[in-house]
Amino acid sequence: MIEYKNIHKEYQGVSVINNINFKINNGEFVVLIGPSGCGKTTTLKMLNRLIKIDSGEIYIDNKNIMEVDIENLRRNIGYVIQQIGLFPNMTIEENICVVPKLLKWDKDKCNNRVHELLSMVSMPYEQYAKKYPKELSGGQQQRIGVLRAIAAKPPIILMDEPFGALDPITRDILQDEVKDLQKKLNLTVIFVTHDMDEAIKLADTIIFMDKGDILQIASPEEMLRAPANEIISEFMGKRGNFLDAENMACSDLMRTPVFTIKDDKKTLECIEIMKKRQIDSLIVVDKAGIFQGVVTIESIRSKGKAGEKINSLISKDFPTVLQDDVGKTAFDLLMDKKYDYVIVLTRDNSVVGIITKSSLAKALASVVWGEM
Amino acid sequence: MSWTLIFQHLYLVIMATIGTIVIGLPLGVLAYLNKSFNRLILWSVDILQTLPALALLGVIMVFIGGNSLTVIIGLILYSLLPIVRNTYVGLTNIDPAIKEAATAMGMGKFYKLIHVELPLAFPVVFTGIRIAVVTSIGVAVFGTFVGGGGLGSVIYRGIHIQNMNLIMSGTLSLMAMAIIFDFSMAWIEKKLYQK
Repeated sequence: MIEYKNIHKEYQGVSVINNINFKINNGEFVVLIGPSGCGKTTTLKMLNRLIKIDSGEIYIDNKNIMEVDIENLRRNIGYVIQQIGLFPNMTIEENICVVPKLLKWDKDKCNNRVHELLSMVSMPYEQYAKKYPKELSGGQQQRIGVLRAIAAKPPIILMDEPFGALDPITRDILQDEVKDLQKKLNLTVIFVTHDMDEAIKLADTIIFMDKGDILQIASPEEMLRAPANEIISEFMGKRGNFLDAENMACSDLMRTPVFTIKDDKKTLECIEIMKKRQIDSLIVVDKAGIFQGVVTIESIRSKGKAGEKINSLISKDFPTVLQDDVGKTAFDLLMDKKYDYVIVLTRDNSVVGIITKSSLAKALASVVWGEM
Repeated sequence: MSWTLIFQHLYLVIMATIGTIVIGLPLGVLAYLNKSFNRLILWSVDILQTLPALALLGVIMVFIGGNSLTVIIGLILYSLLPIVRNTYVGLTNIDPAIKEAATAMGMGKFYKLIHVELPLAFPVVFTGIRIAVVTSIGVAVFGTFVGGGGLGSVIYRGIHIQNMNLIMSGTLSLMAMAIIFDFSMAWIEKKLYQK
């Protein structure tokens, strides 16, 4: 278990990490996320002491990291960075074996480990082991970067925006590979990114930071459903308004604004309006805006006379829902009945919107793919 | 002019170069590792090179007499600059991400220097060595004034007895030597940078 206790850091009198606290369980995939300058990389690099802590303590399995020999500490924490940082003067095999060699593994053991690791990422030993980093593509290099980090079987891996410089397809593949490795080897991973998609895909727990503070620690699901504040929901952007299919109200499904007419209109006027708008029914309200019913082209044609007021033609049995009714009600009405739309009313019966099949589809799609 | 003189000249240059590497490389590393020595070292080697070569040799001769050692010491002091500076620059300019990776892997300062930094800085260091060698070939001509021998004596005698052939043969041999070293070392250098 990793524990940050009251960690504080400042640069030239400016505080960049403000007394943060959090715990990470063994085998947990934790993503540190936030806008640039939020302190996420600083927080990460404190763990392997690349950055000095000003005050507070970090414990790994209840041992203060300041009391562990610094080189030993680092050899037991894997490290992957965005710039990859493979040693250009060493072959792929030598690169992977850097830490095992520092830990004085013998030659055979190193060699076996390289075989094992390369086969894990489907890069045949014969083809790649003797190559130099320069001869590999960016994606392959970072794969080796990851292998180098896990070569000596450290329980903890730190990753600082490791896939930030890769193209989207390669990034996607490497994310999957890393997640697989993490699960298979039960690694504790601390991963820094500013990409919410990446965080959601990989994290067990997301730690959201801003200006040196932790704003929220939550699972991806929870953070999406209930972001702790504006900064987080804004950062999550499109997903900020994520709707939850279960809890959707009718007001989430409706289309606004809605066109209504007053009940003192005459039949010909109504036909004119319908013609212009290419619709076959109109929602009627009284002077105070209270819902009266619907007048359809059929009722005007069969019962109406020219110049007559529409009061008598209004049909009352049109499906309506209240705006805070469960969305499912509107869905059922639309699917079961022959009506083209359902009218959404407030508690005092004024019209706020209508739900059509297309507004419904749009709202449901936003649940699946985010706000459209 | 004889082959002996050419070998004598080469001997001075090669011994001086070895000496410069032995002294200059650690000085460059020290300047890189220790910020407080950094200025002093770089400044000193800068100053050394501004001294007129002949004057430098004269001063050394006062202390240890006139012989080939005088010339070698003079050449060493004179060509420290390119090697010290290139070692320092080569080490400083390594991609910081690579240095950070090395540190984060748990390499100690010295281990990192030997296994990562010096190998990566080597092409730049080699450029420094090449400059030092080519400079030494020219400067070693002054060796003759302090009894160090070498091709300088041919040219000096040529000037003295106003014999153009003698002057030309000495000069051309020097030029040929400089060009051969420069070209062959530049070729190696190119290979190093490609790696």
